[in-house]
Amino acid sequence: MAKAVETQNLEMAKSARRVPQEEWYLPGHRTCQGCGPALTYKLVSKATGGDSIFLGPTGCMYVANTSYLCSPWAYPWMHTQITNAGAVASGIEAAYQVLIRKGKYKGKLPNIVCMAGDGGSIDIGLQAMSGMMYRGHDALFIMYDNESYANTGIQTSPATPYGANTTFTPPGKAIPEGKVLFPKDACQLVIGGHPAVHYVATASLAYPVDLINKVRKALNYKGPTFVHIHSPCPKGWLFDAKKTVEVAKLAIETGMWVNYEWENGEYTYQHTPKEYKPVAGYMKGQQRFAHLTDAHIAKMQAFIDAKLKAPGIPVALPVQGPRES
Amino acid sequence: MAKEMFLAGCSSAAYGAMLSRVEVISSYPIRPYTGIMMELSKLVANGELDAEFVHGEGEHAQVSIAYGASAAGARAYTGSSGVGVTYAMECYSPAAGGRLPCQMAIADRALDPPGDFGSEHTDVMSARDQGWIMGWAADPQEVLDNTIMYFKIGEDARVLLPQFCCQDGYFVSHIPGKVSIPDQKAVDEYLPPFNNPHPLDPTKPVSHGPQIFPDQGPAIDLQRAQAFIDTPKVIEEAVADFNKQFGRNYDPFLEEYMTDDAEFVFFLQGGHARTARFAVNHLREKGVKAGMVRLRFMRPFPTEAVAESLSKFKAVGTIETSTSYGGAMKGGNLIHEVRSALYDVPNPPPVTSFMAGLGGEVVSLEEFYSMAKVLTQAAKDGKVDQYVYWVNFDKV
Amino acid sequence: MSKKYCEKFNIPKHLQVPLGAVLPANKKENKGMITGNWRTVRPVIDHEACTLCLNCFLFCPDATWHLDEKEEKMVWNADYCKGCLICENECPVDCISAVNELEFKGGVVRLEKPF
Repeated sequence: MAKAVETQNLEMAKSARRVPQEEWYLPGHRTCQGCGPALTYKLVSKATGGDSIFLGPTGCMYVANTSYLCSPWAYPWMHTQITNAGAVASGIEAAYQVLIRKGKYKGKLPNIVCMAGDGGSIDIGLQAMSGMMYRGHDALFIMYDNESYANTGIQTSPATPYGANTTFTPPGKAIPEGKVLFPKDACQLVIGGHPAVHYVATASLAYPVDLINKVRKALNYKGPTFVHIHSPCPKGWLFDAKKTVEVAKLAIETGMWVNYEWENGEYTYQHTPKEYKPVAGYMKGQQRFAHLTDAHIAKMQAFIDAKLKAPGIPVALPVQGPRES
Repeated sequence: MAKEMFLAGCSSAAYGAMLSRVEVISSYPIRPYTGIMMELSKLVANGELDAEFVHGEGEHAQVSIAYGASAAGARAYTGSSGVGVTYAMECYSPAAGGRLPCQMAIADRALDPPGDFGSEHTDVMSARDQGWIMGWAADPQEVLDNTIMYFKIGEDARVLLPQFCCQDGYFVSHIPGKVSIPDQKAVDEYLPPFNNPHPLDPTKPVSHGPQIFPDQGPAIDLQRAQAFIDTPKVIEEAVADFNKQFGRNYDPFLEEYMTDDAEFVFFLQGGHARTARFAVNHLREKGVKAGMVRLRFMRPFPTEAVAESLSKFKAVGTIETSTSYGGAMKGGNLIHEVRSALYDVPNPPPVTSFMAGLGGEVVSLEEFYSMAKVLTQAAKDGKVDQYVYWVNFDKV
Repeated sequence: MSKKYCEKFNIPKHLQVPLGAVLPANKKENKGMITGNWRTVRPVIDHEACTLCLNCFLFCPDATWHLDEKEEKMVWNADYCKGCLICENECPVDCISAVNELEFKGGVVRLEKPF
């Protein structure tokens, strides 16, 4: 059967100075001012370099990037449906395996990278993503998480936090908190059920060198890898465009986001504060949470407190489902 | 040297794919097409075929894997049946619009309900407007031959379109027949390696499928439409070359059976042609001048060939084997195409349609005789009384 | 789109789409989407105060800040900066300030005609 072809051996960037000045995700795209996912895209592209093939399932990072028959990518890029990034990546990887084996492609296996939003990763795109992870294709799946279907006008997704006001979860008399559900845990979905996966990480655009190194580490692994990247969205979360990085940092400081790596069953944590700040500070900076009462914020704090007991590792969380009373 | 084997349509398709040297295969089980993948998986496991065999997690993934592989420059092969074909519907237009000539084998199956395994063409006929080449084989030999020919046609630089290579479930896919398996060397001479003009290759980067200006929409649609206008010529060449290389005798678009002096013809696609030939023989014995015309390509629809052929007769009856609920002719799809093709012919023959071969039902000789009764009358009157006859139910 | 179709159907240049809508990739920037005209304020750097920490380079979503390694100073790309001011916000020594775009002569890239 198929012999594995040579994969990447990318060097870690030790400091900001070692981050390449060269761009692969080029200036000239229609993303919003201060767009978190665009920043994520830029950093991921610096990590991969040009020997890469990127797949863009439908979402902000497709629609706002390719408008009007032009594109901002210096490496090969292909649109996929929001449903099938993982499957198209599987097909490309399988094709390269056989083309290299038969001597029809002379280089080594390119970095095959899916840049999927939260919907394209763990909602409508979950099946294809899981298929790619299960089958062990040598490709990287990146979930740039802006916590909503932002491209279509900020609708709730499984990554949208409890209490967020989205255009599908508007707060009202009957449903005062807006979004009533707690989010899916993307990394645990991948870690929990895919024996071919050896590396999963979370990253934040507020820590670019760490983000770049995690992407490179993921690419250096043979087989499928998953990196979940927190990418604040000024338009959807309703904060000032200049605060994208500040909001992302605050998420780390309050425990709303935890940076960790999972390598062959071992967890390591990065950027853990000595003491977590209350989540209220994070929530109050974003208009999407403006309607919440103290009781709602306390519910969120309880959820985060439980999660932080063992970040990344599943623990029983005090979450009430919508059908429980 | 070609060798002869006794194969059902599924195995025959698998041999066709192997001889075409497919490089990426994506599978998902659904009856009846599953047999193709079972055969191919054996060929890969035994090392007879060097290909990546990817177990898709559904038909949607199968087609996605296939067009992804095609985008990377590999010859890709997949397949499905029934609701599997419709589940993948989202992926057909991206493959055709991206001009990625992967091939999908179809062994038809009725959609649910009725919830049975039988053949009916509605599954893939629902996808006929997505920009894929499509047509039916009538027996296992033609399945193998079409598999190879479709790659040749679809990958031609003038075409670059994906293909539905169809056969009726069970009637063709599961009934064995004699199949002449060509020599690999002869196939290699006929079918050159796939050369994607715009692969996803880091050494010559491209962007596939960006958003466009709305005004550019018609121009891009025109491009796909134009490819279909250019395709018939490529089909003619590919079929002629195939006949020459392998000693076959295919007409590119239509099989005509006992049509020289026929008063009326049955017009159909696929495996029911085999029963139709028997029915025509028996009707001839009774002095009824029946004939049969079988369509080999639904897309591109061979308008001129159909008009030229059918205008010779006094009446035409389409045997639908698919449904178009609420359509102009209140029954199936084939009649729409046939009537349109005949519209500009002076004094066209009357055309009616027969709803038969649905839900896996066998179109029996008795049913052909009842259709013949309708068509004999139509040929005599020079008109039809109904657009559609539900065979066995409508009084004739 | 192939030349043959364009000639046959008389398709004007701005509507010509390449085969399968597959575009050759850009190398340095995407001139098809100039965004400098979105800006109402402009980040202005004080090179004297700048410590070359590279925060502006790292955090710009539009890749408009780069280090000129020869001159040892930051350079800014006016054609694409949308004026989000993440750079100003993340500068640890406050050497980037926001200046109203109207202060600059011909600063804003104006559209030739309104929408």
